This record gives sequence, C-alpha cells and structure tokens, in this order.
Amino acid sequence: MANIALPASKITDPAGYYDLSVLDNPSARRYYRRFDGILIVVLFSFLALGISIHYALTAGDWDYWIDWRDRRWWPLITPMSLMMFIAAFVYPIWKAFRLPIIATAVTTLLCLVSWVSRYFNFGQFTDFPMTFTFPSTYIGLGILLDCTLLLTRSLTASAFAGPFLFGALIWPINWPLFAAYKVPVEYSGTLVSLSDLMGYQYIRTTTPEYLRIIEESTLRTFGGSVTPLTAVFSAFVAVVTYSLFLLLGTAIYNLAGRYVRRIV
Amino acid sequence: MTMTAMTMKMMRQTNSIAAWGLLGFFAVSLLTFSVDAGAHGERAQLASMRMRTLHWFDISVSPTRAKVGDTIVMTGKFIPSELWPEQLPSITDTVFLNIGTPGPKFIRVYSEVNGVPMIRSTAFEQSKVYEFKIVVRARIPGRYHIHPLLNVKDAGTLVGKGTWVEIEPSATAAAFTNEVTTLTGDTVDLESVGLKAVVGWHLVWIAMGVAFLVYWLTKPELFIPRYMRVRNLGPEQANAVITKRDFLVGGFFFTATMVLILGGYLWAEHRYPVTIPLQTGKVKVEGAPIPKGPLSVAVENANYELAGRSLTMRMNLTNHGDQPLSIKEFITANIRFLNGPVSGARVMEGEELVAGDSLHPSVSVIAPGQSIDVVLRAEDSLWETQRMTGLIYDPDSRFAGLLFYEDARGGRYYQEVGGPILPKFF
Ligand SMILES: [Cu+2]
Repeated sequence: MANIALPASKITDPAGYYDLSVLDNPSARRYYRRFDGILIVVLFSFLALGISIHYALTAGDWDYWIDWRDRRWWPLITPMSLMMFIAAFVYPIWKAFRLPIIATAVTTLLCLVSWVSRYFNFGQFTDFPMTFTFPSTYIGLGILLDCTLLLTRSLTASAFAGPFLFGALIWPINWPLFAAYKVPVEYSGTLVSLSDLMGYQYIRTTTPEYLRIIEESTLRTFGGSVTPLTAVFSAFVAVVTYSLFLLLGTAIYNLAGRYVRRIV
Repeated sequence: MTMTAMTMKMMRQTNSIAAWGLLGFFAVSLLTFSVDAGAHGERAQLASMRMRTLHWFDISVSPTRAKVGDTIVMTGKFIPSELWPEQLPSITDTVFLNIGTPGPKFIRVYSEVNGVPMIRSTAFEQSKVYEFKIVVRARIPGRYHIHPLLNVKDAGTLVGKGTWVEIEPSATAAAFTNEVTTLTGDTVDLESVGLKAVVGWHLVWIAMGVAFLVYWLTKPELFIPRYMRVRNLGPEQANAVITKRDFLVGGFFFTATMVLILGGYLWAEHRYPVTIPLQTGKVKVEGAPIPKGPLSVAVENANYELAGRSLTMRMNLTNHGDQPLSIKEFITANIRFLNGPVSGARVMEGEELVAGDSLHPSVSVIAPGQSIDVVLRAEDSLWETQRMTGLIYDPDSRFAGLLFYEDARGGRYYQEVGGPILPKFF
C-alpha cells in the first residue's frame, strides 16, 4: 500500500487527483482493485464454508445418496435449506453494492465443495461409487434467482418470482441427472428402481433403508401428479422461507450498520 | 501428491491469498465427511444391551479368503430376547438386516430371513428363531472384520459376531463391475451408469455459474467504488448503477437457463421414458418357534463376580425326556462359554469369542425324570476384554443368554435363560 501514501505537496491538490473518495483517481482505483480482490476471496471463502456447514446440517443425508432423493421430500427440504442461507446474504450485498450475485455464488460454491467432498470423502476414502453419491445441481436456479433480482431491480418483486422459480424448477433441472437412476428393475422378486438397488447393494452400516423418507404424505392421494403438485408446494415453501430470511438479513444489516456508524 | 500438499507448495511459491482460500476450501469439504466408515462399536454398547437384545448363534462366513468379484456367504441365526430392555425401542416395530463393514468393500447381492428376501425393512417377534443368509460380492481388496447386524428403528445398531475376511485383487486385475439388467431391457453397470450425463450437466451448469460470476466480478468497479456510487446516488436512485448492458446480460442468462432446464428435462424424458419413483415398504416374515427341548428351566438368581470375572447362575432343571441331557454351552453377548474343550464343539472357521472349558455346571448330566438345582458358572477373561463388567452399572440389572444342551442321540436343543442379577464386589 506504499503507493497510496500521499506526498505532502499533493494533499491540497485541487483536482482531487490523490483523493481516495474520488473515483476517477488512478491510484485510488489501483488500491480499490486490490481491496476488491481480497474481498472476493474473503467473501467467497466465507460463503463456501457457511453453505457447506449449513447444507450438511439441514439437508445432509437427503443429498448424499441417490436413493434418498425422492419426488416428495427432497424437492422440499433442499430449496428450504438453500433459501435460508441465500436470502440472509442477498439483502446486504444488494443494498450496499447492487450486486445480484449471491444465489449464483452460493450454488456454484456449494457445487464445487460438494464435488470435492463426494469425490474424496465418499469416493476415495469410503469407496462409494460416484453413481451413488454425486451431488445435485442448483446453479441454474441460483442464476434465475439472481436474474429476477437484476431484471426487476426490486427485492420485493424478486422475493416472489425468484424463490418461486427456484422451488418449482428444482426437480426439472435435476431430472437429466436423476432419470437414469429411476429406471425400474426386478430384484429378488421385488420391483425397485436402480437407486433403491444401489442403496441395497452398496452397504451403509449405519444408514438403514427405513431411515429414508419416501413420498410420505397425503399428497400421494392425488394419484400420478406428485411431481407438479410438489413443484407448486416447494415453490410456495421456497418463497416463504426466502422472505423470512430476507427480513432476517435486513434486520442484521441494519443493526450492524447502526453499530458501525456509532463506532466510525 | 495430495491436494493439501499441492496447496501448501503453491502457497510457498506464490504466497498468495488465493492458495489460502483453496486450503480453506478443502478444509470445508472435509467437514461434510461421512461417518459411515470404521467403527462398528461391537464392544461400545451397554453390556446389558448386548446380553438382552439379540442372541446370535451358529454364525458362519465362507469362504474367509476370496478375490475381488468372488461371492462370500454369511449364515446364522438369532433370537430376539424375551427380556428385551424396556428402555429400548422394540424390535417388533421396524428392523433392517444389515452388515457391518467399513464402507462398501462388498456389495450385498442377496439377503433373506427365514427364506424371505430382505431387500426392505421388516419386523421381528421376541422369542422366535430367525435364520438369515447374506450373500456379498467382494469389491475392494483388503482385510475386513464383517458382522451381521440389525438396525432397529430408534434403538440403533445391534451387532452380531464378527469374522475376519481377506480379499485379494482379482487375477485379471480388471475393474470391479456390477451389471444388472433393467426391466426396460438394458444391461447397465451400477458403478458407472448415468455418470457421463451427471458430469456433463454439472460442467454445463458450473460453466454457466462461473460465466455469470465472472461478468460481475471483473467489473472495473466492484465493492468500494460501487458502494460509494450507491451511497452517493441515494436509495431512490441507486439502481442507476445497474447498466443497460447488465440488464441485457441478465436477460440472456435468464433465458439461456430456462432453455437449458427445459431442454435437459425433455432430453431426460426422451432418453428415459420409463421411470418409477423410489420404492419402499415393509416385508413380513414369520418367526419359527424355538424348538422345544425336554428340559424345563427355572432361573432362581444370578451373581456377577467382578474379581472372578464370572457369572454364577442358580437354576432348577427338570428333564421330562427319556434320555440323559448334558449341558453343553451358554451364549450371551456373542460370547460362547463351552462346557469342555473347543475341539469338542461346533466351531466355525475363523470364529471368535469362543471360550473353551469356561462353563462349569455343578451337575453336567441330568438324568431322565430328574429335577435338580444346578449352579452354573460361566467364567472367562472375555468378560473383561469384551467390556462386559459394565453390566453391574446398568439401570435394569438382569441377564439373559442361550443355554445349549444335547441328548444321548446328539439332538441339540437351546432355550433362553435369564433373570435378575446381583453383583458381588469382593
Ligand atoms: Cu468388528
């Protein structure tokens, strides 16, 4: 930071050439660029750490195994978990910088961390095949959420449209990944999907079959339309969760802002 | 070279913040580590739980040496105890027959209880005999201690006796494959099925996400200058920092994402027209009655001697049969206490926890029609090494086990014995 030290003769520079609060000051720009770089690393490391802990605690097993990702609960649990975390950060980053990047950043970081974890911990260390433990994808949903904020430029409007799309499309966006594992097979006289079969074959000593929650709900009575009904329901749940945590983020931001102003 | 070592080297070379970020990234990924591997907690469970939940017996694993791709069969029997602890959720609710291995070193290709396939969960009754069979195929070379076990809903894992098996690499050293033919007529390898599409779609989405982030993060003005502009514009005008180009880029990403999601969905529907939801449900299996032998047993009481590492049971035995009956064996908590040497008993290859000459009855043979008080002492250092001494600290001090006896014609009978237990400290 030596290059931003101000020579005594320039302190009263009338053009404000060395004034850091003037944006067209080249030395200030250089200083800001460097600071931006550090801030990106800090923010992204923090988001990666935060989302992986949060996601492991709230979604956990639901996203580790392909034979847990059912049509009914997985599309509800995952958007809820992700909305909590994303919404809390959307407000401060939008309010202070007008940057619509949080949902994309969080989903992309989660994807990268998940691959590292699944590959090393589940694959290399514990010998599970990646076909059984690959992560789901949410990045497209993050982009949609950020873009609704960008296109509406309104936290309120995007709090309806964004999470709605996030919840409603969570099954379709993952279907090209999941479909191959839902093909039926007959095993020991029982009809199972390839996912169920993998759950049976690849031994998990402390994760028995009955711990899974498969399509347990009264929505089953609506016959074959489980997927669209779940989509609407999970969209609704996502909107509610997102709004609640957006408010939480707002409250924290305002409280923190008041403290910062008092100190500075 | 490991990832951490690579990162450390990078840090030394460039001393960059990015390397620290990368290290943090790996540290984070370790947090989502699965604890499935390793400990099967065979000795960690409460002694009373091991004595009064399941009586496993006649467990056999064969062969105990195999190559990758070979089949290993585990058979045995268990009886859910009549004295199942009140504090423990019942076995009559939901149970899954499982195997204790450190991760999927094997694949389970078949399992059954009393002839009923156990691909799903089930329930068992107390005081019934269940005969199980588990067939596994060796997948990863190594030496493993494998156990039969039951996962009992809300009660946890109840582990049967373990056996060491040794898996060597296959002769051809070919990669392990696990082929199955689906109902749509395709033969797929579960080790690789669908993975290309998974990786391909992940790469597409990562590229989309990174492209979107790069667009924003490479702006000449990011955090501080942007913050100053937002502040100078005030809350009403702040949206002016979003340029027309930002707006167009947003529109492009929104549209492209929607097209990709729709396209991917239609591709999957076309590629996999026949799919079913995840399947679950419970299977029913009938327990067999415990074969009724000619001996009736009435337990009076029992003492556990801490110093002598022995359990002394006092019981009245009546022989209703026409042949003399000799007491052979007492099994509790997977430990076999034999009346006589190991060589004289049915012991499986590689079997553990067999204590020869450790069961000492005051009367070994009960004559036909005889009714007699017998003191039965089971004494061995296994009480100590298997951490059974903790049973004197249990909230409900009772014991249970299986008593084995034979008639002169070699007929083998067993029944559960159990009752209150009093510790002797000196
Ligand atoms: Cu073991």
